[in-house]
Amino acid sequence: MFYIMATLTVPRHGYGIMNLIEETSKGAISIGPASMYTIIKKLLKQEWIQLYDGSDSRRKTYLLTDKGRRVLEEDLRIRKVMIDLAEAGLKEGKE
Amino acid sequence: MKSTRYITSGGLAFSEGKDMEKLRRFSLKGWHVSGFAFMGYTLEKGESADYIYSIDYRSLKEDEKEEYLTYFSSAGWSLVASQADIHLFRAKSGTKPIYSDRDTMVEKYETSNKNMKTLTISSVLLTILAWAGAMFSSGILHSILTVVAFILTVPTLPIVWTAVSTYSNKWKVEGRSGLVHTVKIIPTLLALASILILFFANDTDNIVRLIAYIIIGAVGIPTAVWVFMALYHIVGKRA
Repeated sequence: MFYIMATLTVPRHGYGIMNLIEETSKGAISIGPASMYTIIKKLLKQEWIQLYDGSDSRRKTYLLTDKGRRVLEEDLRIRKVMIDLAEAGLKEGKE
Repeated sequence: MKSTRYITSGGLAFSEGKDMEKLRRFSLKGWHVSGFAFMGYTLEKGESADYIYSIDYRSLKEDEKEEYLTYFSSAGWSLVASQADIHLFRAKSGTKPIYSDRDTMVEKYETSNKNMKTLTISSVLLTILAWAGAMFSSGILHSILTVVAFILTVPTLPIVWTAVSTYSNKWKVEGRSGLVHTVKIIPTLLALASILILFFANDTDNIVRLIAYIIIGAVGIPTAVWVFMALYHIVGKRA
């Protein structure tokens, strides 16, 4: 869910999101189509994303809402803290 | 030579994984599934290919269908057939699975048992009420209620068993294997318990005996039908 939200700071369609995540992570993260569809529906329901352009039903694009943006920022903050913890821990272990 | 044939399904709620493996094996032999059929699938003769298959449960509105299918086609999965909210997809072997994380996979089985829930709860309640009514009434009312309860029980048992299996599928994904194993032995236990009641409890209430008969029938008849269907198609193939 975090990965998908991270790509939706600009409008994108489902296919674009899947590709971007896979390319950015160099294949380490890949999202299956059924999972993708489930998560998009859930994010819409929670109003964390909104439909941006629905004129082409095969290429509907989505964008983060203000609420979604805040959720993503908060999620990012927590992740950063945990990354710092891991980094500090690994450094200590080496010394 | 016939260019279509039929194979049985173990019932999607019971053996989705086995069914998908079976479809793959037939594809390797050049028989590709083309649609759902009564208690099974229709296959068509073609070139042998290593295809993998997946099922998704989802209720889609008309305007959602296109987008949903685009996600699958862009990931290499093409729709073979849809029946109600069940969608069967095919992809070349090696294609990444349609579900990539556990949370959404759990939701898949929630969708599949959401539809069952109302039906199951109402049929169970009605059946129990009817049996209770039959036990505590007499005369004509007793006869009527016994017949009603009997008729209700016939569809209720398989409905309950299907619902239990959809929960079991969900638990499997969630990693609750203890519950899954317990569920597997329930029908055998029920049938054994019923047989024991019939043998040793001659003096019990008629209704208890009747329920025991029904449970034996409910476990035995589907097994018999399934064996018969399987045999029929084996014999049919040779003829």
